[in-house]
Formats: sequence, structure tokens, C-alpha cells
Amino acid sequence: PATTATEVSVGKSTGDRLSCNTTSFQKKSRSKLVSIPGTRPSVQNGQLIVSTGVTSLDYVIGGGLAVGTLLLIEEDRYDSYSRMLLKYFLAEGVVCGHELYVASAQDHPSDIIQELPSPILDDIASPKPVESQTKPCDPEGPDTMSIAWRYQNLPKVQTALASSSRFGHYYDVSKTMDPEICQAARCHGFYLPEHSATVSPMPEAYVALLKNLQEVIHREGFDGSLPQTKSRNVLRIGLHSLGSALWGDDLCCRDNPSHGHALTTLLYGLRALLRSSLSVALVTVPSHLIQNKALMGRITRLCDTAVALESFRGSERETNPLYKDYHGLLNVCQVPHLNCLVCDLPDNKDLAFKLKRKQFTIERLHLPPDLSETVSRVSHGGLAGAAMLGSSGCGSAGNKHLDF
Amino acid sequence: MLLEVLQGTEAGGFILLQDTVSYSGRHLLKSYISTALKREEEVVHVLGFEACEKEFRDGLDRTNAQRLHFHNAYSDPLGWTGNSAFTVHQFTLEDVSTLIKQTPQAKAVTLVIDSLSWILRHHDPAAVCQRLQALKKGGAVRTVIVLVHTDMHQRGTVGSIRHLATSVVTVAPGTRGLGAVAKTTRRTKSGKLMQDEETFSINEDLSVTIHSKLSHPGHTHVNTDETEVDPTANLTFNLRLSDTERQAKEKLALPFVFSKEKKSALLQPGPGSGRILYEPDANDDYDQEDPDDDLDI
Repeated sequence: PATTATEVSVGKSTGDRLSCNTTSFQKKSRSKLVSIPGTRPSVQNGQLIVSTGVTSLDYVIGGGLAVGTLLLIEEDRYDSYSRMLLKYFLAEGVVCGHELYVASAQDHPSDIIQELPSPILDDIASPKPVESQTKPCDPEGPDTMSIAWRYQNLPKVQTALASSSRFGHYYDVSKTMDPEICQAARCHGFYLPEHSATVSPMPEAYVALLKNLQEVIHREGFDGSLPQTKSRNVLRIGLHSLGSALWGDDLCCRDNPSHGHALTTLLYGLRALLRSSLSVALVTVPSHLIQNKALMGRITRLCDTAVALESFRGSERETNPLYKDYHGLLNVCQVPHLNCLVCDLPDNKDLAFKLKRKQFTIERLHLPPDLSETVSRVSHGGLAGAAMLGSSGCGSAGNKHLDF
Repeated sequence: MLLEVLQGTEAGGFILLQDTVSYSGRHLLKSYISTALKREEEVVHVLGFEACEKEFRDGLDRTNAQRLHFHNAYSDPLGWTGNSAFTVHQFTLEDVSTLIKQTPQAKAVTLVIDSLSWILRHHDPAAVCQRLQALKKGGAVRTVIVLVHTDMHQRGTVGSIRHLATSVVTVAPGTRGLGAVAKTTRRTKSGKLMQDEETFSINEDLSVTIHSKLSHPGHTHVNTDETEVDPTANLTFNLRLSDTERQAKEKLALPFVFSKEKKSALLQPGPGSGRILYEPDANDDYDQEDPDDDLDI
């Protein structure tokens, strides 16, 4: 892939830990560095990256979303979590001061903007400290260990994935964003029923979308057409449910769609637009409705980063005890190699997500230890202790404390 | 939950009734219509493609019958004779709105389509989805109830229509001869999902009797009822502890067990976690000079 328009020349690469506050090292930077609020150079390949709004997702796709690339999210069955990810993405844009472009055939873009989650502004992306750091040793407490007491205060196994540097914000899902904050953000919308009075045949809907997007990018100067006096900003593009029947596309309805290339042409044109402008796009596609798997493969190849969500709601997995702590599985299908040969990813492929009120966490799916009642291990308090497994080995978050 | 599907009074409801050739969903559809008609001031418009008006009105309550408007698309759905009441090609937002405007005094309008399979055969499925969405959002109609025969269409088509629906009811013949089985899925505006599976039957007056609620079909957790074999039994040596032996074991003081204060002191993160305490022995040559100082290079 060609170099993006926003490649940052990182001459002195020792200062990569820019955002980490444990060092007072200040990188000597030339003025070539594009400094846009809400973005930072990636530590892996020097690309300018933005946060997706979910810090765990940033970690899983390699630090963040590079400006000029396209993130594909394959929707879950009832479009609940993918819609949430779209809202996180747009909310992050509002908080960072980016401009927004929202396109949907189902809901009006202003409705989507009004439903954005509210940011938690006093707790900006700081990893929670381990609570038990200075807990004194108490032999009578149920959590104390009598033999392995030196390991008492060590943190339990971290299953939540997070990187150490500050990037991205946290949002409270139960509240919606303040209208003042929403109005402060510049937002362009594309609502398909408004653009064509009659039912729009395909692929005219996609052509209209692409033309509108190109016009907005050119008019607002994201492709460098405006003179340098205006400060640079990033355009965040959110396209909801592309490929669904409401866009006039029968990709999801028929096994052999009549215009099978319409969506792929749109993605190709969209990626070309993104590469030549300071913008980043998130696209959701209802892949569970697409019957033609080869087509889904083509769509994935045409996007840079691809993530698939599978929710447990309404399926038989909901009652599986293995999955009881989570809301669904997340699969990272593809990650781009931008100006590099290999990309650095977390090696664990089994990821599960859980939507909590203040955080969308993505964790490694692990098997809890077998602590059924029939296992003959007794637990008595006191000096003798018990013959149980150590707590640092297993990742159980359970109440049973384990001792050597 | 089968009966609660109709209880939502907010606009934009879309109830999808899925049936197959083994069990027809029309009885349940008529039951829903009669429930809607029992509510005051509510008008039901029916686009009937598959049954004639007489057969459709059969069984419905006579007193409410004038609030049911049947648009005959059964005799001539494709408009071959030229004077059909309603044709398949008239399934657009404007034409349906014109039909609804015939009853302007209604407080709430329910639109019933029997069945959508007819329309899906003559129109592009994507266009049908767009028109249904427009009807849902249009505001002229409060609820849309649609009957679809799932075995007539491709999976993707049925899936796309399901995606638009707020409630989906799938009916199938019952296994034990008690009645039929209905699987209901309801999606509220906040995104909450509720599912249920019930056995039901429809009485003469078109009311629905729920027989039983089947347990959640995904309940696969099986209690382990096989008894675990106790390995300490049937041995030639004794692995068990009597009570006195257990008490003696617990009283045993383990080595390297410190008092509480010493443990707390050791657990506090001190100024230096590793301190080297060196006391030079008599034999140690503790000479501060660097032996390489006299090297002359």
C-alpha cells in the first residue's frame, strides 16, 4: 500500500514513549510533525493514529486506528454492540474536537448523534491502580494467605488488555452526551431517504454517498485544498450498516446478488478518498445476513482493519457457563501492514468482550480452574493452610482464595 | 410473550409472523387482528393477497367489523383486468398512505399484510425492505403486522426482513400434538432483547390459549449426577484423618511463619526493595583502592 498522506517522519525514534508520563524526555521535533488534537504517532510504525473510542479495541488492533484507513466492523446479530462501537467512535471524535460525518439509511444522523454516550472527563484513560497494593497483612482475614503471604499484595493476573500510554477516553453508557458538547462539534450527515425521494435502486445510493462524502472532504479542506492558515483537523466518518437492504443493495437478500460489485466498488472508492485526505472511517456491515462467503472475503480484503463481533444474546451460547461473564466474542480478522512488513499484535486470538456501564472491555477468554465441589480439597483457616493452587497462576476472579 | 407482542403502544412497531407449510400462521394473524379490533378507536387495514374477504372475515367479531378495512388484492393482484382494488405494484408509500387516508378519524392504524411473500415475489427484496422501513417510520401507521412464508424465500431475504422487525414470532407445529409452538423474539427500543418459546392453541373465538412455556432451548447445562468415585476408599492404607488427627495437624506450627507485625513490615514496600547488607569478615580484604590504578597504559 502506498504511503498515506499523513506519514510522520520520525527521525529520532527513541522518544516514542511520548505520552507516558514517567519520563521527562522531550522529543526534539521539527515542525514537520502534524500535531492534531486527539492523534499521536504510533509507536510501531510512526503513522498518525486516532483512538477508536474504546481503549481495549485500540490495543487489540495495534495501538489505534491510523488516519487514512478504514475499519470494518462485522455486525452482531441484532446490531446492538456494533452500533455501540460506532457511537463510541463518534463520541471520541466529539471529545477530541474532530469533525464528524455520519451516514445511515436506517436512522437519521442527528438521532445517532443525540444518543452518543457521555464522556467521563475526570478519569482520562488512566489504568485503574491495583487496589490491594498496600493492604497490610492480616492473618485473620479470609483473603490472607498463611504460607504464601509474601505474594499477598501482588496483583492478580491481568486479563483486561490495555497499553500503558494514555490515549482515548472512557464513556458512561447510561448517560447521553450533553447537547452543548454535541453542538460544539461540527457534524455532516447523510440520511438516504432524504437524498432520494423515491426508493433508490442500487448502486445509485452508494454513488450518491461517495459523491456527497467527496464534496464534504473537498469543501472543508481535509484533502489539503484549503490554504495552510486553517489549522488541520481529522474527519471521522461513520457509515452504518452498509450492504443492508435499506441501502438498496440486495447483497444480504439474495445468494447471487444482481450487483455484487456495488459495495466493493464503494469501499474501493472510499479507501481512495481516505488515503488522500486526513480522515478515518468506520464501516459496519451486517455480515451475518450475507450468504455469499466469497463476497465477504472480498469486502474484508478491501478494508484495512476488520473486526467481527458475535454476541451471545439470543443464541444457545447464552447459557454456556464458559461465556457467562461476557456478552460476546470478538475476532480480529485483519490488521493492515502500513509501511511495514509485520505488524505487532497481541498474540492471543480468543477474545471476548463485555459492555460495562463505564467501559467496553475486551479480554482474553480463558478457562477458569476446575473448582467443582466434588474435588476433594478442603479449606480451613489458620496456620496449617490448605493444599490449593497458587493465585498467581490462574486467572480466576472468584472469591475462593488459593494458597500454596 | 406471545400476547404481549401486541401491547406496545409506541409507534414504529413491526411484527413479523413467520410460518411454514407445516403450520399456517394465518390463524394467529387473525387472532392478532381481533385483539387489535377490540381496542377502541383502532382501525385495521388489511392488504389481502392470499385469502378472499369472506374467508378472512370469517370468525372475526361482527360488532367491530366496520373498523376492519379489507383491500382486495386477492382477485386480481397483478392488475390484469384493469380494475383491481389493489395490486402488488401499488405497494409503495404513497399508495398505501392514500389507502390509510380513507379513514382519517382513526386514532391508531394497524396495517396487516397477508402475506408479504406475494410482494417479495414481484418486487426486489431490497426495495420491499426500504418501503417497509418507510412505512414504519412514516407515522401514518402505528403498527405493521406482516406474514411471511419462510420456505418460499431465500434465507438472506427472510433475514433482511427480520432485521427490520421489532418483534418476530415463528410458528411451527407442536411435537406432542398439544398445539403449535411459537418462538417469540422482542427487541425494545433501548436494545434489550427478550426471547420466549411457548405452546399455544387458538380457540373458536380467535383467542389464544398458552399451554406451557418451554424452557429456554439453549439450556444445555447438565447437572452431573454421576457420583464421583472417592479415591480414598477401598485402600489397604489409611488416607483419611480422624477428628483428633485433623486438630493436631492444624495446631502444628509451620516453620518460617512470622508474627503479624513482621509480616506487615515485610510486606510494606520499603525505600529499597533490595538492600545488600555486607559485614566484612576478618578475612575479607576490604580495600577501597582500585587495584587497576597502577596500570600504566
